[in-house]
Amino acid sequence: MIEIRDVHKQFSTPAGGSLFKRAPKRIVQAVQGVSLHAADGRITGLLGANGAGKTTTLRMLGGLFPPDAGHIAVDGITVTRREPAMGRPEPAQPPRGVGGVQGRPGGTLAALARMGILGDAHGLYPRLSARENIVYYGRLQGMTPDAANARAEALAKLLDMGAILDRRADGFSQGERMKTALARALVHDPANIVLDEPTNGLDVLATRALREALRWLRSPEGGGKCIVFSTHIMQEVEQLCDEVVVVSKGRSVAHGSVPALLEQAGEARFEDAFVKLAFPEEVAA
Amino acid sequence: MKQALIVFAKELSDALRDRRTLLRLMVPALLLGPLLLTALSGLIASLEERAERRELMAVGMAHAPTLANYIERQTYTIKAAPPDYEASLRANKLLEPVLVVPEDFEAKLLAGEAPTVEIVSDSANQRAAAGTGALARLLGGFNRERAALNLALRGVSTQLLEPVDVQERDLAGVQARAARLTSIIPMFIIMAVLYGALTAALDSTAGERERGSLEPLLMNPVPHGALVAGKWGAVALMGMAVALLSSLSFVPAQWLLKSDSLQAMFQFGPGEVLAFWLLQIPLAAGLSALLMALAIRSKTFKEAQAGSTLVVTAVSLMPMVTLLNPGGDAPWYLWVPGLAQNTLMLAVLKGEALRWTQVLPGVVVGFALAAVALAYVARSMRAAVAR
Repeated sequence: MIEIRDVHKQFSTPAGGSLFKRAPKRIVQAVQGVSLHAADGRITGLLGANGAGKTTTLRMLGGLFPPDAGHIAVDGITVTRREPAMGRPEPAQPPRGVGGVQGRPGGTLAALARMGILGDAHGLYPRLSARENIVYYGRLQGMTPDAANARAEALAKLLDMGAILDRRADGFSQGERMKTALARALVHDPANIVLDEPTNGLDVLATRALREALRWLRSPEGGGKCIVFSTHIMQEVEQLCDEVVVVSKGRSVAHGSVPALLEQAGEARFEDAFVKLAFPEEVAA
Repeated sequence: MKQALIVFAKELSDALRDRRTLLRLMVPALLLGPLLLTALSGLIASLEERAERRELMAVGMAHAPTLANYIERQTYTIKAAPPDYEASLRANKLLEPVLVVPEDFEAKLLAGEAPTVEIVSDSANQRAAAGTGALARLLGGFNRERAALNLALRGVSTQLLEPVDVQERDLAGVQARAARLTSIIPMFIIMAVLYGALTAALDSTAGERERGSLEPLLMNPVPHGALVAGKWGAVALMGMAVALLSSLSFVPAQWLLKSDSLQAMFQFGPGEVLAFWLLQIPLAAGLSALLMALAIRSKTFKEAQAGSTLVVTAVSLMPMVTLLNPGGDAPWYLWVPGLAQNTLMLAVLKGEALRWTQVLPGVVVGFALAAVALAYVARSMRAAVAR
């Protein structure tokens, strides 16, 4: 279960400036009030246009930087990146694994152990094979080499990537890279799965395969995972999501199932409903 | 700790798989030093050979039978110089000075008019210039002999001519020259550490950012400290591995030395290899961390390479400090990374025993540098992906 409550984040970026004049900093409000509640056994979509704040929200969920305001929790564990002192991993950390999770400062690590995240950036190590890429993350998640290996095989079956499992990632196609990155994110069999625009650059077949895999992961036999994924593609949301959160200009402006949103907007087509909900001023104009 | 080991193992196997890059850095690290050493030994050998040959190149020696007689009595052989000797000297083709004797030499000598002879050389032609001293001394000997004979004929004691008896005593000789040449070896070992660590350091920091693999890596439940420690260990080990290969490469190189005296002087066995290698540990530790710290702020490998140029240049020029500062080794040398290792390795080459007080400053500085730089990398990692 993933709970995001009214998070805010602003960045300061340098503006133009010139060679002799230092550019003044400009404040960019990336996220200003996104909320999301994703339950187990459901697929929750984060739908928004480019630059709406989806990726920033998911990166905060991944603990890359803390929100300026708001609260993020995974299975009740607060995500706050309190970086332990350099070189000294928390002194008395109990062995990670089943039941070894606790919510206390440094809880980000515990929260991260419960999530499989396929982020915006998902580079592989080109000199390692797909299997080695996957096993490396499994080991970092605290799995034994054997367990990680077995899991890599199982995921290869699920994602239909057996043929590339022992090839170096160097020459992978976009789809093969995406599959490997997804398998890498899922290696520790996390209860919560977070995907940031996973279908970017995938062809129809690969997209369908991914959709099937996500449906299976949501089902009770697949583990009844809590799946959050962000996208700007209506079709995907319509076909896959049990729950949709519409994000626009850094705010979550509507949420509910696809039929509920259609009803709320009073439209028959989901695309029209999205535009009406996300950009009401443009529809009015 | 265990996580750091996992990262370490992965980074190491990743770096070792980059065969092409490894091979490319092996060339300067392994071949250049021994090749240069062999070439220099060839130069020394030829200098020694000429000193032993006792030959002299002259023009117009036929006009000076008296001088020729003296020179031959000193067991020198006289060779006629080629007619275009001036051009050859300028073009570095003729490698010895030429003695030019005027036609009226004998007549003037008999008349007591001091004939002029010329020693022709080119100071830009180093090997020819090196021979002028010996030639001048030979002619000085002739002058003294003539003067002594003239005075003796007039019944004057020759001791009046030389109120002071000057004798030279050279403490160094050829072996000192050998030591000056072998002093280039530490430089190559230091460069090897740098080359070994450089690619791995950039690849594990800026490279990760460029590939977009740093962000997912940071979303694993691993403290940044463990990630950085594992990466640093692998980078430092790469530097140490290349340093070991480089110092091993000087073992076969010494068999190729052409100069006997250089060969006698330059004893480079397993003991020296081990000492050289152990001395590099603090350098590898400090440099690896420093390179990583410089690279973590760069978005691409290329940018990081530009940033590391300063370190590479500074460290490779460190041994030059000893050349530019002829006042002997200063105590502060031992506190400067690179320079400390250079000084200590030179001591090993001279066969001196190292004291803890000499080694400790370098170790302290190396590991302190590593600690500071790694703390910086750990802190910067998150900042690196948070933009």
